[in-house]
Amino acid sequence: MGPVTPLLRISNLTKRYGRVIALQDVSFAVHAGEVLGLIGPNGSGKTTLFECLGGVLPRDSGELLRGDRPITSAERLQLLFYIPDSIAPWPSQTVRWALDFAIGFFGGNRERRDEIVQRLGITPFLDVTMGALSKGQRKRAVLALGLLAPQPVLLADEPFDGLDLRQTREVAQVLREHAMRGRTMFLSIHQISDAARVCDRFVLLSNGRSVGEGAFAGQDLEEVFLALT
Amino acid sequence: MRSPRSAAAWLLEKEWRELLASRAWWMFLVLIGPLVGISFIDAVRTYAEASGLNGTTAGVGEAFSPLIGIWAPTFSACEIAAAFLLPFVAIRLVAGDKQSGALKLETQHRMSSFQRVLAKAAVLMAGWMIASAAPLIAVALWTWYGGSLHPPEIASVLGGHLLNAALVVALAAAAACVTEHPSTAAIVTLAVTVGTWILNFAAAVHGGLWEVAAGYTPTAMVADFQHGLVRLDVLLMATTFIVALLTVAAAWMRPGVPVRRRVRDTIAAAAVASVAVLVCTVPRASWDLSEDRANSFSRSDEQALRQIDAPLRIEARLAPEDPRRFDLEHRALSKLRRVLPDVDVEYVSATSIGLFEQSNPHYGEITFQLDGRSAVSRATTAEGVLDTIYELAHVAPPAIADGEIFRGHPLAAPPTGAALIFYGVWPAAVVGAALIWRKQA
Repeated sequence: MGPVTPLLRISNLTKRYGRVIALQDVSFAVHAGEVLGLIGPNGSGKTTLFECLGGVLPRDSGELLRGDRPITSAERLQLLFYIPDSIAPWPSQTVRWALDFAIGFFGGNRERRDEIVQRLGITPFLDVTMGALSKGQRKRAVLALGLLAPQPVLLADEPFDGLDLRQTREVAQVLREHAMRGRTMFLSIHQISDAARVCDRFVLLSNGRSVGEGAFAGQDLEEVFLALT
Repeated sequence: MRSPRSAAAWLLEKEWRELLASRAWWMFLVLIGPLVGISFIDAVRTYAEASGLNGTTAGVGEAFSPLIGIWAPTFSACEIAAAFLLPFVAIRLVAGDKQSGALKLETQHRMSSFQRVLAKAAVLMAGWMIASAAPLIAVALWTWYGGSLHPPEIASVLGGHLLNAALVVALAAAAACVTEHPSTAAIVTLAVTVGTWILNFAAAVHGGLWEVAAGYTPTAMVADFQHGLVRLDVLLMATTFIVALLTVAAAWMRPGVPVRRRVRDTIAAAAVASVAVLVCTVPRASWDLSEDRANSFSRSDEQALRQIDAPLRIEARLAPEDPRRFDLEHRALSKLRRVLPDVDVEYVSATSIGLFEQSNPHYGEITFQLDGRSAVSRATTAEGVLDTIYELAHVAPPAIADGEIFRGHPLAAPPTGAALIFYGVWPAAVVGAALIWRKQA
């Protein structure tokens, strides 16, 4: 079997906040249909990297490549959908309306709506406003918005943050199922145990640099993490 | 099954729902009723008291113009609402997405940031039009009392306040997008509003270029519309400011774009707007929609003045704060500029109040130059100015036909039921509507 062509390559991405270098020459590949985990200690630049990839934060240099060609902003919008952490979008609107909006506005998959709602356990609070949800409920509602979006690559920042163990396992299962259907998942996860449960491959980030990339099959991920970060 | 809707339609629905979910909006709507009510009730009472004196002769007819006596004060409540309430509603709607994180999701749609800002502005203007129901109720009440109504006047006043509201919305949107926090945006918006008042004050004291600039502030613009005067240059200038401010808002509603580029786009928008503003001062067309032709000479005078082709130069030795200068400008020269194609007015004074120039024998003189001839006068009334010009131009003063004289529409009717409607029914109806919306949503 020959080498797999990546769906997307991130090349030498650098981001500075004034004199502080948040990301420096970060490079790695994303393969189609995989669940890729971005792991690293707190402050290593995971969220900054996702914000740059999601187009909500300008990067100083570096490129997103498909093949050897840099992708344009318009292509990025068609390829990636980014779910930020710690947001409470449209706090006065109900979850039901927010899901309908996501489908209508982003051109999402209406047929999968009921399935996603049911699998993420959202049904009981469909008629509750987004602003009145608990952290875990909101996390699942926002995750549903991302799963309904039509883009083939989903970037989710801390998708398990605020979820209990049972919910974490259920959400991880849903994400894996979507990956098996061909959707690429790129997840930023700070809990190594959660990452090990759901991801196929990992990118390790430390002090704004990518220090490792791979499946780390047969290795203790926590030990790899401690050794590289 | 729902029919598929465009992303723009979804966005408009979202903005509309966000507006209705905003307490600031409902508070604004509750307050505008009593604000309009107090202005309307006071105006009707004053109008009735004056009408009760039976002073309906031509000399005081102007006092019985509903435009000046009723609509200007009643609709002035809209100006207060636009200055002190509307900015908070607009900032809440524009900055809310940034605060909640919704903007990070919405910007992942290919729709341009200008379209996004436009959707918010459109919904806010729809909200303003709903609030305009309060003064329109006053119009209905006035008609019910038996008051005279000249629809073009109402259209002029409504249009002026609509344009003012659009300016406020655009300014608040720009402030909300440029600043990090809504409270900073509120301070910026109010600072600009207060700044225009300072400009008006400076114009009154210093005259000159300050006076020219002050002629285009929202206050001056609304004043023109409230007097039934629609000026093309003001319309174009206001539209330019609105588009420029919305462009700035759109430039800063792009979190993924570097700040340097947003600053560059803002400077570019400001540069284009500056050139456009200069161009906007060129057109001189204007329309007097007032029933009493408050902004125009009589038709006979206008016909006579149109015989004059030569440029007219006027030099008035009057200080900016001299009340005679205000009279001259508003009673004569502003009307003259609307008729004559080439009028050049220059005010000359060494001080701002003119009090210490009285010893100068030439202070107060108004010199008219036309076709190589000149005349000096001290009259600041329309009649005095016209007489001098006719004499200078060798044009026979026209006889004013009796039908041209505005007799006014006195009405000695109390504001029956207005207090109940504006202080009771309106707030109750708004609160009821808010509760129904909350229940349905």
